[in-house]
Amino acid sequence: MTAINRILSERSVDTRAVLKILAILIGLMALASIVSQGIFLQPRNLVNLVYQNAILIIISLAQLLVIIVAGIDLSVGAVLAITSVLIVLFQDYGLAVSFLVAFGAALLIGLTNGFLVTYVRLPAFVVTLATMQIGYSIAKVLSGGGAVYTGLGGAGIAPGLVDFYKGSFLGVPFPLILCLIFLLVVGQYLRTSFGHFAYSVGGNQRAAYLSGIPVRLVKMVIYVLAALLCSIGGILFVARVGMGDPQAGTWVPLDSIAAVSIGGASLSGGIGTVAGTVIGVIILSVLNNIMNLLGVPPTLQPAIKGLVILVAVLLNSTRASK
Amino acid sequence: MRQRAIGQQVVSRGVGSSSQFIGWVSRNSAMVALVITFISGSIFIPTFLTRLNLSAILYQYSIIGFLALGQFLVILTAGIDLSQGSMLALTSIVTASLMQNYGVPVAVAGGLAASTLLGLVNGLLVSRTKIPAFVVTLGMLGIARGLALLVSDSKPISIGIEAFNDFGRSNIWGVPVSALLWLLAGLLLTYFLTQRRLGRHIYAVGGSEESARLSGVDVRNIKLIVYGLSGLLTAIGGVIWTARLGSGSPIGGNNYEMESIAAVIVGGGSLFGGVGSISGTVVGTLLFGIINSILNLVGISPYWQGTIKGVLILLAVALSQVRRATGSRQG
Repeated sequence: MTAINRILSERSVDTRAVLKILAILIGLMALASIVSQGIFLQPRNLVNLVYQNAILIIISLAQLLVIIVAGIDLSVGAVLAITSVLIVLFQDYGLAVSFLVAFGAALLIGLTNGFLVTYVRLPAFVVTLATMQIGYSIAKVLSGGGAVYTGLGGAGIAPGLVDFYKGSFLGVPFPLILCLIFLLVVGQYLRTSFGHFAYSVGGNQRAAYLSGIPVRLVKMVIYVLAALLCSIGGILFVARVGMGDPQAGTWVPLDSIAAVSIGGASLSGGIGTVAGTVIGVIILSVLNNIMNLLGVPPTLQPAIKGLVILVAVLLNSTRASK
Repeated sequence: MRQRAIGQQVVSRGVGSSSQFIGWVSRNSAMVALVITFISGSIFIPTFLTRLNLSAILYQYSIIGFLALGQFLVILTAGIDLSQGSMLALTSIVTASLMQNYGVPVAVAGGLAASTLLGLVNGLLVSRTKIPAFVVTLGMLGIARGLALLVSDSKPISIGIEAFNDFGRSNIWGVPVSALLWLLAGLLLTYFLTQRRLGRHIYAVGGSEESARLSGVDVRNIKLIVYGLSGLLTAIGGVIWTARLGSGSPIGGNNYEMESIAAVIVGGGSLFGGVGSISGTVVGTLLFGIINSILNLVGISPYWQGTIKGVLILLAVALSQVRRATGSRQG
């Protein structure tokens, strides 16, 4: 079981990496507190931070899974968009039905991604670039181009959904609880033998195959799980903004890749943790927060995110080559 | 010429006339598809074979064509450039904002310089670091778009200089000048790729980076040049696009890189590098132009176009994968 040993040794490296980015985060938060003269640490700002990032955390978990098996998923935003449209359109038949339709669509996209990457052996970024286009295009066809606010039968957004997003349990907002649940689920998944297989496949696909790991199945499952997680993001999106938007999530691929790489994952696969990814999302949003507090125009933010991805990946790749 | 000969040898080693025919079709699948779509478009759609429609296709797709030429060079080295659409927008914004105060030459030079510079940054990062090309250029996609939005304050900038705007609409006997420029660029690049040492080195890097390096090819600088050229060619397309539009737009060019990648792959390029030709890329671009025009004329909702293009890209990439697999089995 040398594969397992290798994974365990990588785990310890990852713990150190997580500590390092945690230190960066604390530094950034201190900076934010100084810049904002204390506003940053006020509960309202911190709660906002969570609210704004619940969706990104879930999507980044999806991205993490795919990046662990040395893939990439550019279709995450499109899955979010198409599921948000479907949930609003099908809500007349009850929330359960609309969720099922959304999961079905996500499943289809995940299976397509997985099949083309693993069985036809096409590069992941091209496959998901194409399914991104297809997803956005079908979302627009379904919604008629613009955002949708009412179901097929004319019913408005179910109040329960919106209340859910605003609600809280023992003072902890529901979106945060949902995030924690999925963090635990994905974290546990990566600890199962199937999760270990994912690390092995990402680390060295050939070696994993020769050790008898069902490489194709492992990757297939990962792509499907990623798409399903994105549909949860779609549900949260509808709950948050009260509409289905066929153009939602344009920047989500870039953001999630940035978060995962800041969190210490390697884009060449085999390395990455749930904890690192969450901290990555928070670092990204604290950066955003600082930029807002400093009055940096929002138009510059894509540029800064692009820069952050490059710097994070650069730091990771120099670390890996040592 | 040598590279093309080697490429053909690998693909067409089949025996017998039927497999030779299949080999010929698979080698020239883009050309075959182009002829078929053109003929069926002419027969079934009355407005297709009109001077107005054909020049409209050329106006729009000569711009995509410039991007595709750059994308082809990058893909030839087994790279990818996802930042083209954003760089096009940045070029248009820089050109439009310099136009009023500094005149046409300075504005055009500034627009060309902006994207070329970003292309060179792509090249530096791809050749000097271990970051995968699609991540570098994805980061640049964000950076270029952000700069375009910042410089323009998220608003389109209109251009009042008619001489410049007229250039975008100019034609010679109905053939758009932009299309002629595009073909000229294609011819120059073909000469450069087949007859000059640097061009052959680009093929060598894509064929096998390691053997190219061991044979003394300066792999790093080849990559730098290729991404720089992709930036420059995108910028040329961007200047023409700006002139056509009569304004600079910070949100323009979205997903243009999808079309350029598709054109290259459909035209016989491989994402694994080393194969394909400029003429194939030109044919691939024209094929997408004709398909796009037919979809519009038939009245298919523009919302469906992303789906159709996405499926076409997947088919083209899958086809090139099959071609690669059969080629390596025979060779």
